[in-house]
Amino acid sequence: MSKNPYHPINGEIIDIIDESPTIKTFVVVPEEEFKFKTGQFVELTLPGEGEAPFTPSSSPAETKQMDISIMKAGRMTGLLHECKKGQEVGIRGPYGNGYPVDDFVGKEVYIVGGGVGLAPIRSLFLTLVDKIKDFKSVVCRYGARTPADFIYKKTLFGAWQEIKGVDIKLTVDEAKDGWDGNVGVVTTILSEKDVNIKNSVAVVCGPPIMMKFATLKLLEFGFPASKIYLSMEKNMSCGIGKCGHCMIGKYYVCKEGPVFTYDQIKNYPKIWA
Amino acid sequence: MESVFINKLKPLLDAISEKIELYVPKKAGEHYVYNRYDAAVATEVELNNIRPCTPIKEFLQPGCELASISTGPAEPDIKPFAVFGLKDCDLRSIAVLDKVFLDEEFKDPFYEARRESMFIISSDCFEPGESCFCNIMDGEPFAQSGFDLNISKVNEGFIVEAGSEKGKDFIEKHPSLFTDVSKALLSERDENRAKTQKQLEENNSKLKFDTPIKEIVENSEESEVYDDEVKTCIECQACTRICPTCHCFYLYDVKQKDYFAKMKMWDSCMRMAYATVAGGANPHKILGDRMKHRLMHKFVYFLDRYGLNMCVGCGRCVDADAGGIDLREILKRLSKEVKVSK
Repeated sequence: MSKNPYHPINGEIIDIIDESPTIKTFVVVPEEEFKFKTGQFVELTLPGEGEAPFTPSSSPAETKQMDISIMKAGRMTGLLHECKKGQEVGIRGPYGNGYPVDDFVGKEVYIVGGGVGLAPIRSLFLTLVDKIKDFKSVVCRYGARTPADFIYKKTLFGAWQEIKGVDIKLTVDEAKDGWDGNVGVVTTILSEKDVNIKNSVAVVCGPPIMMKFATLKLLEFGFPASKIYLSMEKNMSCGIGKCGHCMIGKYYVCKEGPVFTYDQIKNYPKIWA
Repeated sequence: MESVFINKLKPLLDAISEKIELYVPKKAGEHYVYNRYDAAVATEVELNNIRPCTPIKEFLQPGCELASISTGPAEPDIKPFAVFGLKDCDLRSIAVLDKVFLDEEFKDPFYEARRESMFIISSDCFEPGESCFCNIMDGEPFAQSGFDLNISKVNEGFIVEAGSEKGKDFIEKHPSLFTDVSKALLSERDENRAKTQKQLEENNSKLKFDTPIKEIVENSEESEVYDDEVKTCIECQACTRICPTCHCFYLYDVKQKDYFAKMKMWDSCMRMAYATVAGGANPHKILGDRMKHRLMHKFVYFLDRYGLNMCVGCGRCVDADAGGIDLREILKRLSKEVKVSK
């Protein structure tokens, strides 16, 4: 008999970090060793309540525990936000393809993120800076609604900015709390001079509307559709390409995604909805 | 494979049901539904002229089942069973489900266990239903493959053909049930089949399009036909529930006194919140878009992905549609739009 793919392994939430008014990071320790590739996702179960898909925000090099940053957006995420340390959870996965990091070697990696979209990007970022010499540079452009909505503030404003080969620029939709940086959506801090497009790949993750306009901007800069990597958010229940909910055209986002090049999906309907 | 002859069906069904549970179609109103076969009370069984009303997927992927339990992985506990009276459309619908649930990377252990435990006795159609259009969707009114035994009605009795090792083994283990089949009977069977084929061709002559159906549907992205067709849709989801190839499901968690569990339950892409994500975004908010996605999945995406049509032309959705929506009419309307745009 085949292994039951619907059965989660047990885990425990050992720490909860308040990142922003709507986002918390849960540190989860699985009972068994759990390996994943950056950009892959897990189905996190709250026993008896339900499960939902999240991409870990920690480095895959860390196999004993993983960080999962969750924005309070619906029923499941609301319940998760009420959890306390010591909460038992279930974990299925890892599922999906993840970022093709090997294909990024020798290139400038142009990362565009918004809101909670920084969660998967943090995992990618940590993977890249771990071997920063393998990449030409890592250029990050990230936007949040207000300064309070930035997540991973300590490292985002501190240590990450100091890494050689890394260039980070931030923006907010609404300036508050003494913010003296750029004000405007993330596309206002994108410039075709940020990277040498001929030797770059772009990675976009964030709310659908932001992903749409960032992608259009990148295309305008001359990025080929095959070099723009998008993390697609769809309703994913089974995680193993059967239940049907996450389809974009012939693809199951949970299996061939969640990372797609724009080229793969551009002709299918409603990709940004 | 090997073919033999039998006068009556009862001895055959009695022999099958001796060791395992057997389900046979029974007339209910104008339709057939599956019932447990009880050799002690059964009289001679009537061979169903067309597919039963309910889809065969019910035997392989029940409407609701336990998928995981906190006290340990749920394991399928399936006893061997047999189903009698499947038609070619049913067999082809199993081939569709196999692609999804027996996918090499992730097999569904519950589907796999049922599939392996199922003994399939199919039969030829001899009077196509009004809504049958299998001949348009690569089908035939007789089994092509995927059966253990197939029954063809002939004047004097029935030809029984083995379609698998399991079927062959059954025939070999029950020599007293069968006699040899004559060449005359085999040509009678072939004539019957040709007659039904011809009738299907006549019934569905208007569904023969110049453009392949895949292309017709693929080109309907901007069509207003969907929004127009769903005007009478009452969103009952009967079309997808009764469809033998529709296989969408969702997992949900339950809390019991002593344990937690995950259940697997049929879902439908015609349901409003089917594709909704946390926060409320929904690519298929509009009913017409859901209908479009349903057709795209059946006639375009599945074919692209697995090389098989996800519609077998059984016509069940046509019979079941409470709003009178007819898939065949939608295809006809869409086919006309292709001509206009060319």
